[in-house]
Amino acid sequence: MQFSNIINASLIYATFRASTPIIYAALCAAITQQANILNIGTEGIMLVGAFTAVTVSYLTGNWLLAILVSMIAGMAIALIMAVGHIKYKAEICAIGMGINMFALAITKYLLNSILGKSGSFSDPAIVGIPKVHIPFLDNVPVIGEIFNNWAITEWFVIILVIVITFLFYKTVWGLRLRAVGRFELAAQTAGINVNAMKYQAILISGLIGGLAGAHLSLGYSNLFTEGMTNNRGFMGVAAMYFGNAHPVFTAVGCLIFGFADSVGARVQAYGVPSQFVLMMPYIITVLVLAISMASKKAAEKKRKSSLTV
Amino acid sequence: MDNAWKAIRKVLLTVVLALFIGALFILLISENPIDAYAALFRGAFNGKLSFGTTLASFTPLLLTSTAFAIAAKAGAFNVGVEGEVFLGGIVAAYIGINWTFLPVPLLYAACFLGAMIVGAAWAFIPGFLKSYYNVNEVCVTILMNSVALYITSYLVSGPMSAGVANAQSDPVTVRLYQFLKPSSANVGLFIAIAAVVFIIWMLKKTTFGYKIRTVGTNPMHAEYVGINPRKIFIKSMMISGALGGMAGCIEVLGVHGYFLNNFATGLGSNGMLAALIVKSDVVLAPFMAFFLAILKSGAMGMQQSTGVPKSIVDTITAIFIIIATMELLFQFNGKRKKKKKDKAEA
Repeated sequence: MQFSNIINASLIYATFRASTPIIYAALCAAITQQANILNIGTEGIMLVGAFTAVTVSYLTGNWLLAILVSMIAGMAIALIMAVGHIKYKAEICAIGMGINMFALAITKYLLNSILGKSGSFSDPAIVGIPKVHIPFLDNVPVIGEIFNNWAITEWFVIILVIVITFLFYKTVWGLRLRAVGRFELAAQTAGINVNAMKYQAILISGLIGGLAGAHLSLGYSNLFTEGMTNNRGFMGVAAMYFGNAHPVFTAVGCLIFGFADSVGARVQAYGVPSQFVLMMPYIITVLVLAISMASKKAAEKKRKSSLTV
Repeated sequence: MDNAWKAIRKVLLTVVLALFIGALFILLISENPIDAYAALFRGAFNGKLSFGTTLASFTPLLLTSTAFAIAAKAGAFNVGVEGEVFLGGIVAAYIGINWTFLPVPLLYAACFLGAMIVGAAWAFIPGFLKSYYNVNEVCVTILMNSVALYITSYLVSGPMSAGVANAQSDPVTVRLYQFLKPSSANVGLFIAIAAVVFIIWMLKKTTFGYKIRTVGTNPMHAEYVGINPRKIFIKSMMISGALGGMAGCIEVLGVHGYFLNNFATGLGSNGMLAALIVKSDVVLAPFMAFFLAILKSGAMGMQQSTGVPKSIVDTITAIFIIIATMELLFQFNGKRKKKKKDKAEA
């Protein structure tokens, strides 16, 4: 096993590439978390987005339209969750899991009945998200290898992290959103329409979740498989916990999972059983989640004792 | 009595509404929903084989739905039952293959005990993390399901492989008696029923059950009256895990006779569905599990005799749960009365 074959410059892009779908998912979860709603349905929203993107791209050949439609589809699924949770007081974990199972089943059903395939669907007619090729980087050795040929959505995720950070911490809307999340009653007393804020948070989260799916099926790969999200939505939720719903720290958490994923893919070539490689990101996610929550608790304890004693 | 009637009425309305929405999806691909549903119920009950298959798919659902429900009673959302089924299955297979030095009755006991202990140990991890560090148990259990799946998949394709084309283990030396051949219904069904009855008794009639219910309703109150909510939470997670392990053991000893890679996919989540639809009511959950088993086993027959793909069943069950979780749906009577009252007052 040669160390330099595993850790080299191209690992940076491999990590980022593996992280991007999780970053989108984590942003989807972070928005609702700011309003104190745990978006367990991220996985399902993403899956519906992925299916819609592939279908629309296959039928129209237009990737931009595919992304837009899949964002709307994500929002539609999120709307079910929003109405169920806010209007009919459904428990958020329960309805979130319901959404996940619904997404898994409905995409399978539509895959069978509309596209006439089972298992997975790939076709040359599916137009993927184009890659950004920067000609002058071809001749720059390391930088060229790292930054060339990113999919448009991979560049866009960086912008999105910045935009959402700005939205959360520098706008009135973000302040209101966080107020709702922190203390609902106080927010209401201050004249904020709590339910409207919650609806907005879930719907925007749906838009991003749809985009996450579209990136997964058209940017990251170029096909649709049943259950292709493969728990990425839950990794996103875990990363959101890790980063305390702050977009930048959340994205850092995603990079850790992406790193585990891409190192695993390289180690596999050296005879490590594939199952160990495949379970690595999950174990690391659980560990990171446990450690970050434990240290958060320790910090809280410390703060408390310095106040009371 | 009024509350029980209300709960049952709500479940029935949920079933009707979900089947209605399912019918819309069937119409969408221009098939006849009534034919499809008829084929579905024929597929579940018509003949010894179909009825046996229904019973065989009911057995694990009965256990997994109760496993989810008992964890939910203590306030946990245990999505990890599926992983526990996988691990219980692999342990039962390992003991059933290798511990032949034990006399047969002890070997049965060893299989069940081993599966339950490993299931409980697996469930201890998320339970501990949640109660002491407040780590969200939904996330942890879901991710741990994947880990369990890969562990068993590694074992049956590596060290425990039977060396055939499918990833599976050698056949186990003890089997549970199958009573409706050629289907795979087996006496595991009665073991499962006994276990569920025991759990219901424990939850409703013992001090420990009372503690679980108290912790689930209000952990702060529990702490105030001297119950340690953390320990009870972990214990109920472990009972849930043990039930999952038992389901895995019954599947391996009763249905397959060996450990088959991926055999438990969907068992945990369907049990969770059954429990969620009835709001984790341990008495009603078995009935819902039976209904889901009908849907599952009839789906194949429906796919064969009509053009409706069997994935419609998953869609319908998912719609079920979405509708069932909405607490305030179907409370129209109360609302109407309230409006009348408001009017009268005005």
